[in-house]
Amino acid sequence: MAEVDYAHIFAALPSPFMVLDKDLRFVGANAAYVATTGRTLDELRGRYIMDMFPNPGESGRRLLLSLERVVATGETDTLAFLPYPIPKGDGTFQNRYWTAVHVPVFGDDGGVEFVLQNTVDVTELVRMREAATLPFTSLSAETSLIERTREAERASADFRRLFQQAPAFFAVLSGPEHIFTFSSDSYARLIGGRSVIGLPIAKALPEMVEQGIVSVLDQVYGEGIVHAAEGARVMLENEPGKPAQETFLDFSYNPIRNGAGDITGVFVQGMDRTESVRAAQRQRLLIDELNHRVKNTLATVQSIASQTLRNATDISAARQAFEARIIALSKAHTMLSDRQWNDTEIGHLVRQELSAFESEQVRFAGPTLVVNAKATVALAMVLHELATNAAKHGALSTPTGTLAVNWQDGDDESLILDWVEQGGPAAREPAQRGFGSRLLRTVVTGEMGGSLDLHYEDTGVTARLVIPLSAYQVQENQFVQ
Amino acid sequence: MYSDRRRIFVVEDETLVLINLEDMLGDLGWTVAAQAMWLADAERLAASIEPPDAAILDVNIGGTTVFPAARILADRGVPILFATGYGRDGLPPEWQDHPVIVKPYTQRDVATALDALVGSAS
Repeated sequence: MAEVDYAHIFAALPSPFMVLDKDLRFVGANAAYVATTGRTLDELRGRYIMDMFPNPGESGRRLLLSLERVVATGETDTLAFLPYPIPKGDGTFQNRYWTAVHVPVFGDDGGVEFVLQNTVDVTELVRMREAATLPFTSLSAETSLIERTREAERASADFRRLFQQAPAFFAVLSGPEHIFTFSSDSYARLIGGRSVIGLPIAKALPEMVEQGIVSVLDQVYGEGIVHAAEGARVMLENEPGKPAQETFLDFSYNPIRNGAGDITGVFVQGMDRTESVRAAQRQRLLIDELNHRVKNTLATVQSIASQTLRNATDISAARQAFEARIIALSKAHTMLSDRQWNDTEIGHLVRQELSAFESEQVRFAGPTLVVNAKATVALAMVLHELATNAAKHGALSTPTGTLAVNWQDGDDESLILDWVEQGGPAAREPAQRGFGSRLLRTVVTGEMGGSLDLHYEDTGVTARLVIPLSAYQVQENQFVQ
Repeated sequence: MYSDRRRIFVVEDETLVLINLEDMLGDLGWTVAAQAMWLADAERLAASIEPPDAAILDVNIGGTTVFPAARILADRGVPILFATGYGRDGLPPEWQDHPVIVKPYTQRDVATALDALVGSAS
């Protein structure tokens, strides 16, 4: 059997190979390399590579770095994509793109003695890629060397995965019809998981057509302008089978250009801002509502002050009455804020207002009944006025008097509250209607739309308050909708 | 002598605020021709009472807005003054040309606003 002649095989390899010593001077090159570079073996041999193919730019730096790395580390190094102009015979330069693999060849002492370079001219491939408009196309399809393929695929795949999984959304639209050639995971979520690859945007997202998306994209594609928007409101079908939802986006459309500067597509990137816009809206609503409540409460306090002073006979009594009313209002607010201003239970309200009195004199009972915030404040003020009157003129003004407060759930779900004073001085209807009775009547019959049965008996005051369900029932999310 | 007093329609859903407003209006020489604390009552009265000389309407009443009743009054030619804790921002565009008093308001605020709305009594 003939011995294998490696020198001949090297010379005959169909892709360009050359060998450098560890000073990066040419030792040898095969025929394919000679043909590609347009230099003879004699011209190359012994010459420093950077003198032979000088390149002061980024590409030259990368090439030198890669070669030096192989010499220093003894590990293979690959340049997946290297633009490198090559001098033509006539002294001019031609722009070419290369993929280069640098492999160490070890000497007897175990150190790197030579560097073997295999290059493939990928200029045609680069042109194809630019024409294809998809920036993430793998370089591999037409290359025959597996390592180069892997390297190129890995770089492309890493890049693609980065975009694919990014929290921001990305999409690539190619050609004048704006055909989807890439969409990231977050973009897919944004559009309700619809399959859009290969479809023109007008077909992929039909609801966007009437919102003017096509003409904007036409402008970006046709005139090369960048279109950007912040917090833009669009109606997007972001759940399968459901109508378009209000969505707020920060986004930009950038033209994609090929090496020649021609626009081949549109790069779409952005963020779904719907949640933060909604949160800001909710906060605005809450602040407005808080402001409204504070203003209303101040108007209430203003009214209490005004009413107390209008009916006052002496300033000291007026001050005490005013303070007591403000405290009653404040306690109602405390009960509400303890429950996130939602509602309160009628038993708590009654106990709160009557807790100041001797427990043997006061009896109250009734089922658990929850009332809304507005009814809480109104009933707290009513109970306060009734209790104040009982303490000043009624059953609670003497040690022998008793007060019974009972409430029940009426047939039509109305709240019926009975206030019965006994054993105190005889009650007499006041000659002039005071604040207390006016408040009681207006709250029950006006604000709560109920009925009031108020009697001044010899045995004491009795009152039956009937409050319809609509006035006290709790509504979920009364103001934030 | 009360026949000379001007008549006003009041919508306000807070008892204490209503009582205070009624007293202010009494002091200012107005008679409250009707008052409502719910939209349904407000709409019914707005359509049925003899047209008053003016109306003071609380914008937010019982979880809704007073505008349906305001529309009825406006169509009947009743001058409208809005009262609200939200201020002018609480008014939608179609009502922006109507005067507003912001809660809490003083008797003087009410007097000034009503004078501008219907002219001074003197």
